[in-house]
Amino acid sequence: MKRFIFASIAAFIFIFFWGWFYNGMVVKDASAEVQNLFRPREEMMDLFYWIIIGQAGLALSFVMIYVSGFAGDGIAGGVRLGIMLEILAVSVRCWVYATQPFPAKLLVLISVGGFIEMIVTGLIVGAIHKPAAVRTS
Amino acid sequence: MDWKKFSIAFFAAFGFIFVFGFIWYGTLMQGAHQEVPMLFRPKPDFPWLILGHIVMAFFLTLLCAKFVPAGGAGTCALLGLFVALVYVGAHLITFAVEPITSKILWGWNVGALVQFAVAGAIIGVIYKPASPVTVRV
Repeated sequence: MKRFIFASIAAFIFIFFWGWFYNGMVVKDASAEVQNLFRPREEMMDLFYWIIIGQAGLALSFVMIYVSGFAGDGIAGGVRLGIMLEILAVSVRCWVYATQPFPAKLLVLISVGGFIEMIVTGLIVGAIHKPAAVRTS
Repeated sequence: MDWKKFSIAFFAAFGFIFVFGFIWYGTLMQGAHQEVPMLFRPKPDFPWLILGHIVMAFFLTLLCAKFVPAGGAGTCALLGLFVALVYVGAHLITFAVEPITSKILWGWNVGALVQFAVAGAIIGVIYKPASPVTVRV
């Protein structure tokens, strides 16, 4: 339980700072091109707590999935889970591209950042939540 | 990996995800989406929508087959539910940055939870290896 909590907190901290850096610096110009699809900055700040809750939920879900089937492989398992979850996220971005007028360039940039985010999250979670045992049934 | 069962589970999951998506997001939520018409394309780009569904069904099946090797509707539904929680987190972040309504947010969240849990259960029922398997903890 202790490792679960530590792994979730560490994953959340990384996701928060990575999101702040990547979306605030790297994706900034590409998102500015479609400003009409985003809330004004002041409105985003008013709703910032949803970003925190969303990122915390994401970190917690990541660790729950890791513990339920990937923990036996440690860091490698965490990285594999990160890659698989990001591929699932890319599939959702295909839906987004199909239904919303976001430019492909922006979605590709978000996906690149997503892969880095999920791989590093997997690395962190795998390093903190080390495998306990492997058994057969 | 039992590729025959995997393929059947994948096609069944794809069928369910596609039909559920059409009914839930495309039909029942159409009114909610029309409240913010500037956020959506007038007509979906179907090739991308179908590609997204294929990738999602394939990797959800892979996730269940590899990491819940014993199969079973309940266990795979639970894994599906955990995966859906990752999307719930992402939707909360989307709500903070895009001018979607709270009706859309909760519609997407309920949709993701039902879609992934049921798809997971379908995969779990179909993908059940006959021989004893190794369970990772």
